[in-house]
Amino acid sequence: MFKALMVFLSLLVAAPLYALDGTALLKQVDRNLSPDSYESYRKLINVEPDGRKKEFTLFTVKKGVDKVASLFIAPASEKGRSTLRLGDNMWLYIPNVGKPVRITSLQSVVGGVFNNADILQLDYAAEYDVEKVEEKGNEYLLQLKAKTKTVAYDRLKIWADKKNVLPTKIECLTEANMLIKTLYFKDVKSFGGGITRPAVIETDSPLYKGYKSVMIFAGLKKRDYKDEVFTLTFMSNIESLR
Amino acid sequence: MKRCLVPVVLAILLLFLPAVAAAAEEAYTFDAAEIEKKPYHFGGYVEFKPLLFGLDRDSAFYKLRYYDDPQGKTLAEMNGRVQLEGSYERDIYRLFVKTNTDLKYSDPAGSSERSVFYEAYASLKPSPSLKIDAGKKTMKWGKGYAWNPAAFIDRPKDPDDPELALEGFIVATLDYIKSFDGPLKTFSFTPAILPVTDHINDAFGNNNKLNFAGRFYFLLYDTDIDLMFMTGGSRPDRYGMDFSRNITTNFEIHGEYAYFRNVRKTVLDAGGSARQVEADAQSYLVGIRHLSTSDLTTIVEYYHNGAGFSEEEQRNFFATVDRAYSLYQSTGNAAALANVRGLADAYGRAGTGKDYLYARLSQKEPFDILYFIPAVTWMVNLEDRSFSLTPELLYTGFTNWELRFRTAFIVGGRNTEFGEKQNDYRVEFRVGYYF
Repeated sequence: MFKALMVFLSLLVAAPLYALDGTALLKQVDRNLSPDSYESYRKLINVEPDGRKKEFTLFTVKKGVDKVASLFIAPASEKGRSTLRLGDNMWLYIPNVGKPVRITSLQSVVGGVFNNADILQLDYAAEYDVEKVEEKGNEYLLQLKAKTKTVAYDRLKIWADKKNVLPTKIECLTEANMLIKTLYFKDVKSFGGGITRPAVIETDSPLYKGYKSVMIFAGLKKRDYKDEVFTLTFMSNIESLR
Repeated sequence: MKRCLVPVVLAILLLFLPAVAAAAEEAYTFDAAEIEKKPYHFGGYVEFKPLLFGLDRDSAFYKLRYYDDPQGKTLAEMNGRVQLEGSYERDIYRLFVKTNTDLKYSDPAGSSERSVFYEAYASLKPSPSLKIDAGKKTMKWGKGYAWNPAAFIDRPKDPDDPELALEGFIVATLDYIKSFDGPLKTFSFTPAILPVTDHINDAFGNNNKLNFAGRFYFLLYDTDIDLMFMTGGSRPDRYGMDFSRNITTNFEIHGEYAYFRNVRKTVLDAGGSARQVEADAQSYLVGIRHLSTSDLTTIVEYYHNGAGFSEEEQRNFFATVDRAYSLYQSTGNAAALANVRGLADAYGRAGTGKDYLYARLSQKEPFDILYFIPAVTWMVNLEDRSFSLTPELLYTGFTNWELRFRTAFIVGGRNTEFGEKQNDYRVEFRVGYYF
């Protein structure tokens, strides 16, 4: 009887040690995807059902949990456009228009399946709480709920590889669990400086049947910036950071 | 038999070519050369825009322009535009130049060409917090989409095409930026000096004046707020403010206010006698921008132009034109028409009335047609109820190409702003290519 009681008490104490801390896991996913502050280049490719493609190249800088800015460097028709996100605030600067205008996370400055929230993505832990975390074979499944109504997707399901703690697939859902899009993370590779992450993200959506968008990463490296870089007044000068 | 097979094989190849292409595209490439930064940049934009005007031969502005050269019901016009831009950047220094050439041809007016530097300035940027520019540049102050009463040192934009690039003025400016933690996230100050002489900025206003302007920007409680001023004598002193804020993720509100001291305008009385009036004026604008879940963007703005012409002042102008035209028809004497033509610029510009409502609806990629955006724009003079209605189709699916087809219907009775415009309708097709 005494032995059984000891075993029960031991299990009671040991159980929390083995329970998964979803928030810590999500923060680790964020840090493994990118350093806290960094610069990177991305190519976005929109693929139409007939195979026709349109490509955009962006230079992106990020600092901390809520500051990210991107500059279009190709094609020529988009060159010089820049986007800025400060927490929930997003702006688009078009050289011809000459002043930043507010945009929303659900809009897409490039058309196709990726929207502004995907392009100007903050840390997942900054925007979502972990509701549930499970182990599914070689993967974790994190079920997330948006912290506020201003986030593009109400719910996320993240499948993360246990070994590297990197996402392999993310489903973006509405409050009613309707699937908006799925992101597939592929081609895990080293970018140097201790950064190893998927270099390709593919996405498709039941709302855009037959269409696909792809995001390819290059030149991802840790870099620190002054806060003044992430301001409306600086949006026309992001090119000078390259 | 073999000959019969060739077209069949070709047909099969053509049928499956998209699938073959799709399979081939799986190998995505991202070469280092694509992101290499060069110290210099050269690019540009070429546009071809044929236009067809449906003339209103009873309108005041038709009479002013064609009184001695009557036209048919329609008038065709070919327009071309070439914009070239280049920059050179080294360390903290940067040079930027943008030229614009407008070409126009119509029968019987013939051809015309106008080339100007839209912008040409040098920048010095010792830190992300500080930037100094000197040369010709646009400032683009204000938050309004169709109008910007607080854009004190810019040329007025065309509410028919608010996103067009504009020619700047020669200025010396500075941007000082400071970021904070807390409710005030950003503060920036942009002072500007704008000289006006016989040869510099002579279109801006009174000559031989040195004008000072400034803008203070705050990002406070997630709201963009600007305070601005201009003084110096080339134009009446003016003070203004604007704001922009997202009420919800997809719903933005904005506003703009400007106070002008001692604004002068030339008005006509019922008999056609001209006199100058001078008074303080207030202009303001409130607007919204909303994106629906079905990707319909709605922009609505109300604009009060305190320095504009009232319905009665516009009516007196149109009546004066009418009398001058009748006099010309009966006597051949064009002196009265020549007199009133001197006021045509002031009365004929877009948005010269007092109160306007602007609404633009644009639907992104309907029927899953990527890069296709149909839109319709409605601009109404609230005093005389005349308006323009402009449906358009925009397609940007070919890399670096932009195709836009639009028709404008210009509607209003006699003696109303839009009713007295030269045209009843306008059809245009714009093909633009960026390089």
